[in-house]
Amino acid sequence: MKLLTCPVNGTRPLSEFVFGGEIRNMPDPAQASDSAWAAYVYNRTGAPGLKKEWWYHSPSGTWFVAERNTLTDQVARTYLYGQEDKA
Amino acid sequence: MTFIQTSPVSHAQHHAYPVMGSLNGMEIALEFGTPQIQQAEAAVAGVAEFSAFTRFAVKGAGAAEWLSAQGITLPPAANSWLMQDSTLVLRLGNSEYLLEDQFVTGHASRLAQGPAPVGAKLYPVARSDAALVLSGQHALSILAEVCALDVAAELANNQRLLMTQVANISVTLLSQTLNGETVYRLWCDGTYGPYLWHELTAMAQEFGGGPVGLSFYFK
Repeated sequence: MKLLTCPVNGTRPLSEFVFGGEIRNMPDPAQASDSAWAAYVYNRTGAPGLKKEWWYHSPSGTWFVAERNTLTDQVARTYLYGQEDKA
Repeated sequence: MTFIQTSPVSHAQHHAYPVMGSLNGMEIALEFGTPQIQQAEAAVAGVAEFSAFTRFAVKGAGAAEWLSAQGITLPPAANSWLMQDSTLVLRLGNSEYLLEDQFVTGHASRLAQGPAPVGAKLYPVARSDAALVLSGQHALSILAEVCALDVAAELANNQRLLMTQVANISVTLLSQTLNGETVYRLWCDGTYGPYLWHELTAMAQEFGGGPVGLSFYFK
């Protein structure tokens, strides 16, 4: 059974979580060029590596950040958004 | 005109022909058999419904301060609970709180009937949960079959609550001493109530238990 650690609720089976996608910085829609905006909307980074991702613990409604190596599927750490320094 | 609301679990209970009664405007199952049968089933593996209790919930960074100003004692740690007078106070995560009166009118009713909470970072939460109770010597065996977690270990601290999945349904779960016996309280989205009731009572019946009415716990 795969496990993931929610920073609020502790370690839980992966079936309790929902993947929310990689964290990406949104360009300013008013300032971005069409190509930059299109790249943000349509393109994703497919190369494996350590990525920051959104995950959601569904029984508690907790969104948090997981730093996961998408090549090895190992999670380095998890923390609430904005509390990276406490992880 | 007075409306009586059906409980979220009522569809799953009709076939057992319970004696129904009204509590807080909700029709709820009071008895599923004679007191002797209820006693025997609750001691082995009983499932009861407490959905009719009055609830009040708020969340947000300002929730703790607002509740404290209303005279509510708050659990100091995330995912823990306490009993204040006759009201169960649950802290769900860091900044969400659920108050539930236990049969008699308490703080949840007082806050629900008062002015709506207003303030910065303060958000009322509507709760229409199905609330179930699992009791008896085989209660933990049932939970072991439907939970991926070792809930016995997680709930060893009696003031801790869990937000996890039971039979693939998201629930809030805690253990509590009720009438001198350890019981397990579950809250889930009301729409999943009939499914969870069906699953838990079916498993309880395998152990020789079954459904138990509210009047077994509260007279």
